[in-house]
Amino acid sequence: MSQRTERRGIHVDQSELLCKKGCGYYGNAAWQGLCSKCWREEYQRARQKQIQEDWALAEKLQREEEVAYASSQGPQSQSQSQSQSQPQPLAQSTPPHGHASLAPFSKFEEKKTNEKMRKVTTVKKFFSPSTRMAPKKESQEGKTPSPSISRQTSMETDRVSKDFLEFLKNLQRPGREIHKQCRAFIESMANKKDLGADELSECVQDFYQNLSDRLMSHFKGSSESVERVMDQVEKYIMTRLYKSVFCPETTDDEKKDLATQHRIRALHWVTIEMLCVSMDEEIPEVSDNVVKAITDVIEMDSKRVPRDKLACITQCSKHIFTAIKITKNEPASADDFLPALIYIVLKANPPRLQSNIQYITRFCNPSRLMTGEDGYYFTNLCCAVAFIEKLDGQSLNLSTEEFERYMSGQASPRRPTDDGSWPLEVDGSASSSTTTAAVNPVLAQLHHNLELLSSLNIRQDRLAEAAQGLQAELASWEEGVQREVQDILERYPLEIRPPPESAIDTENAESDRLPPPLTPQVFAG
Amino acid sequence: MAAGGSRSFSFKVVLLGEGCVGKTSLVLRYCENKFNDKHITTLQASFLTKKLNITGKRVNLAIWDTAGQERFHALGPIYYRDSNGAVLVYDVTDEDSFLKVKNWVKELRKMLGNDICLCIVGNKIDLDKDRHVAVDEAERYAESVGARHYHTSAKLNKGIEELFLDLCKRMMETAQADERLKGGGAGQSVASRRGVQIVDDEPQAAAAGGCCSSG
Repeated sequence: MSQRTERRGIHVDQSELLCKKGCGYYGNAAWQGLCSKCWREEYQRARQKQIQEDWALAEKLQREEEVAYASSQGPQSQSQSQSQSQPQPLAQSTPPHGHASLAPFSKFEEKKTNEKMRKVTTVKKFFSPSTRMAPKKESQEGKTPSPSISRQTSMETDRVSKDFLEFLKNLQRPGREIHKQCRAFIESMANKKDLGADELSECVQDFYQNLSDRLMSHFKGSSESVERVMDQVEKYIMTRLYKSVFCPETTDDEKKDLATQHRIRALHWVTIEMLCVSMDEEIPEVSDNVVKAITDVIEMDSKRVPRDKLACITQCSKHIFTAIKITKNEPASADDFLPALIYIVLKANPPRLQSNIQYITRFCNPSRLMTGEDGYYFTNLCCAVAFIEKLDGQSLNLSTEEFERYMSGQASPRRPTDDGSWPLEVDGSASSSTTTAAVNPVLAQLHHNLELLSSLNIRQDRLAEAAQGLQAELASWEEGVQREVQDILERYPLEIRPPPESAIDTENAESDRLPPPLTPQVFAG
Repeated sequence: MAAGGSRSFSFKVVLLGEGCVGKTSLVLRYCENKFNDKHITTLQASFLTKKLNITGKRVNLAIWDTAGQERFHALGPIYYRDSNGAVLVYDVTDEDSFLKVKNWVKELRKMLGNDICLCIVGNKIDLDKDRHVAVDEAERYAESVGARHYHTSAKLNKGIEELFLDLCKRMMETAQADERLKGGGAGQSVASRRGVQIVDDEPQAAAAGGCCSSG
């Protein structure tokens, strides 16, 4: 018997196998030493706690929003906004908020005693509180399973809606109306998730149109105020709908994104000269602006509101204009701008470019897109993308064979420089000596820098020499001065004559004028 | 983008033409009144706006410059989509540039029909001694395609103001005729998703000529 256990090489004490909770069942390492039942309880508890926190947070924000709204609109409007959310089936059982946050927890405590019931109620709990407390969020972010992600996004949406309410406060009555409409619209959009992207776009555009028509009549045709409100409405709505309408699964946006990305990557060899871009990147200010432009166009993907995305494109364009202006010293025309933008897009390879363009086209306020300055830059970006997709040898002034060779990676074009010693593998042809005059831009830059460094070195040497010369000169000057001083000293030696003695006893010229000294007289006595 | 309300209009005008015919100089002269000036303050000359007041109506003009190089020709439709007017510029000393204009006209008429107001502009008349495009030929051509012809010089500031003013007036007429057509068409046919535009009655709208009856 004991032999057999040895052969197996396993000897575990019974107690180690048992559930750590001491319930008498066997435990499992995968469940941290607990039996299935105890593990489930533990897990549920932790899970519940996490969910509680999320709910509490969500509710806090929700309440803040409502309070902010109520304070702006007075008590009667709050009841309105609530009654307005009533018709939505999910929102029907809204209890007082303080209750809602406690309810699931107390229920949980109860259920712990009854194992069979628990399963059912947990499932229920997963649905009921979230629908009860945040119907809006549920509708908007129903697809996101992770609480931490939804929390993060809900933080942003809540910030945006807070701003929105702030903004509407200034409008008083119409503000209430706008808020009501926007919320109703977002809720209605939640039921249309299955629609295609074009239908969704249609819905949003219809909403913009209706709202702006109404605003137009309210503001008596002041298009500036209407535009201001519409900007805010767009921001509010699109922040909330972003998740469900950006690059939706019903479209092939994602496929196009990938295709464009591959295409741009395959065109990595295109140089600034081939595109005839009038930007001289060797001027530091210009390359600075090029980098900024690239950053801006990449940043577009991180924005949620179509208008913010447009702003990124505009910013990018402004940097390009600055770069061209520095290079050419005159305002950039479209002839300069478009090639430069193409170059920037090629260099940046912005993420999800097609999705972003589609998103802006579908959900941006149309008045902005069609005539405004932002619209112009956006159109140019569309042109740049279209050009990149269709690009062939002819459009780069290359022969078809050359283009093919570069595309397949067999060869790569080099920038011609006078001292370029970079060997180029041109199919082993003998004419390499002529083609070696071309060097990859990076290498050219490297060469350039090296040259600069060596010239700097030479100049430094020269400086050192000059400094030594100066030192020698100084030393010799010092010596000269010393010598001169010595000479002068020798020539005019300093004789220190003893000063005339002025003792009374000495004989001097005037002494004879003195009366003779008195001689003592002897008085004979 | 058609005009906004009845009080103000906003128009998109697209600038087409081969490179080097002076599109940029033309528009810079119009919007900044400068020519080859070192003191030009604007950063760019590809998108410029101008506010006008024509017979008491505010007009916002957005002028879109386009890249004139041959390799960007195919991108034209992206630029001129939704534009109200097109200014087609050629260089009077360069016959090729005039042929390009003819190509543009054909394309624009095919894609946009008669909704777009066309202006054919012979620029650089200060170089008249080197002229290679005959005046009457150009004018005859313009008339045959329903466009107006202008002669300009950005250098001498000749004819530019007139060109844009005339273009604006024509675009206003087109827009007003369009609105009346929509208003008269009982709404349903034009109830596109952009909604029905409510237009105030314009007493002087009759100037555009009897297209009302077609509704």
